[in-house]
Amino acid sequence: MTEGLHQDRAGCGLKALRSLLPVLVILALIALVPLFSPSNRFLSLAISAGINVIALYGLSVLFGQTGILSMGHAALVGVGAYAAAILARDFGVGFWAALPAAALASAAFAMIVGIPSLRVGGHHFVIMTFAFGQLLAIVLTNGGDYTGAATGLDLAGPVTLFGADMSDLTRYYLMVVAFVTTAAVASWAIINSSYGRTLRAIRENEKLAASLGINVGRHKIGAFVVSGIFAGISGVLLAYFLGHISPSQFSSFPSIYLALMVMIGGARLIEGPLAGGILVAFLPEVLNLDPVQSRIVYGVCLIAVIMLLPDGLIGGVVRALRAALSGKPKPETQQRNATPSEARR
Amino acid sequence: MSPILAINGLSKQFGGVTALAGVDLAIEEGEILGVVGPNGSGKTTLFNVVTGVHRPSGGTVLFRGQDITGLKPHAISRAGIGYTFQQAMAFAGLGVLENVRIAGEHVGTDSTANPWPTPQALLDFVGLSAVANEKAGVLPFGSLRLLGLALALATRPSLLLLDEPAAGLNDRETTALVGLVRQLPGHGISVCVIDHDMKLMQMLCRRLAVLDFGSKISDGPTEAVLADPKVLEVYLGGDL
Ligand SMILES: Nc1ncnc2c1ncn2[C@@H]1O[C@H](COP(=O)(O)OP(=O)(O)OP(=O)(O)O)[C@@H](O)[C@H]1O
Ligand SMILES: [Mg+2]
Repeated sequence: MTEGLHQDRAGCGLKALRSLLPVLVILALIALVPLFSPSNRFLSLAISAGINVIALYGLSVLFGQTGILSMGHAALVGVGAYAAAILARDFGVGFWAALPAAALASAAFAMIVGIPSLRVGGHHFVIMTFAFGQLLAIVLTNGGDYTGAATGLDLAGPVTLFGADMSDLTRYYLMVVAFVTTAAVASWAIINSSYGRTLRAIRENEKLAASLGINVGRHKIGAFVVSGIFAGISGVLLAYFLGHISPSQFSSFPSIYLALMVMIGGARLIEGPLAGGILVAFLPEVLNLDPVQSRIVYGVCLIAVIMLLPDGLIGGVVRALRAALSGKPKPETQQRNATPSEARR
Repeated sequence: MSPILAINGLSKQFGGVTALAGVDLAIEEGEILGVVGPNGSGKTTLFNVVTGVHRPSGGTVLFRGQDITGLKPHAISRAGIGYTFQQAMAFAGLGVLENVRIAGEHVGTDSTANPWPTPQALLDFVGLSAVANEKAGVLPFGSLRLLGLALALATRPSLLLLDEPAAGLNDRETTALVGLVRQLPGHGISVCVIDHDMKLMQMLCRRLAVLDFGSKISDGPTEAVLADPKVLEVYLGGDL
């Protein structure tokens, strides 16, 4: 019995590890891209995508695992970015020290927004986060010299790692890939921990979760705070990459884009944020769309994904592949038939 | 011996509706107590108020002598009261084993010794080992009820509240359920069960309490309660 359980545990661990492997392989390949001397434009796009992906991994914990949607997530990225810029300007704090500080600031903001918003639950949270995003943009715009008002703030500090200047585009690219990898592994670790199970329980059924001793409210706020940490780090990388930040970067549209990316990629899968971030960054480039056209395409994509592919694009592709390989219909139907249905009253 | 749960003058109003009108009820250590009553008599509300799903309008609930009135559901669970819902439920999108594992990860600190130390052992107990790796959402209804029972047991309760655990089960499943519930007192778990099926209640319970319009109208040994004129009046025309 006990032996069987140990085997089962080991099996679980192995299965969990296997789920991480594809992402690590893809990221390793992505890290090799500079060998093919890509254009600066490509690298810039890839860096922006990677910075988004870091925030998306946090959003996947919030939305994919806990089932809570934040429509103001760019605001949390903004808190991180402004924290980095203000720390550099007023206190001479550099990139590496700004990382934990900004993560803390974004986490704290998430808690301040989360405590009142998550109490009211469900759809109200979506609206509250959206309102918070707008509010932050207004505060930043009217913050005078302290926030640089509508023009925003400059951030000129260099990023160095072991004495090497990382500001060079290729080096910054590799550093972002390393951060994305860390974010992916962190999110994977959360998903496969007891904490991840707790969050999924809340997503599936809050009432049942509470009856089993889970403090639903506290864990929902916790998940939002965790997603804030990812967002804060993403913000620091963004501020140092662009060298200039302004309120409009963190208002409602960028927030909607983040939510869209995580849904298109598939919030519950470890590949999802990576796929969503890359797709949304590169699709307009590949299809040569102007901003208005790309918004329309994303809108259509989002509706299609929500209606047809609950696990996002990657989930859909995986399911289609599985179905094609086994020559059978959807696995779901298969399972239903496998269990003899018993009499109901 | 003092009761494991002492309910004193418990009342609950929903707007103008009085769902509970000052109920006194004691659940003794080691017994299986049955609660019956017509539809809408307040049985589920009684459980909901004890388990913190609803706040009481008045009265107190003492669990092992401690006042637990108005605590949140998760705190009640951690204190050692497990419960299943009238609507059978599980975490539909998650695996059966994962369901039970989750349920066992938020146990209160002062819980008693555990007769089922692993999720697998609990699945063995309720007879769901064969479907351990299925998604809970694809289980047939009878299995879903059993999984609900396993989830409540995984929290290591010393008192278990079951709200119509046999509703929707066929005869074979009901018999299996009776077999399981009867074992619980032997594992140190007192039980309070709601059901409309009097045959089932006679099999399970030596004592019954009857609710009608939010008030307790009878309480005592099963046979005596079923012969009580007040109870017969309530069930007049019904099949007792
Ligand atoms: N959440 C609620 N809001 C308003 N009224 C409620 C609520 N829950 C229960 N009631 C009312 O309280 C009364 C008692 O309901 P309750 O569900 O406790 O009955 P019950 O004895 O469990 O019935 P059944 O045998 O049908 O399950 C009913 O009149 C019901 O309409
Ligand atoms: Mg009821």
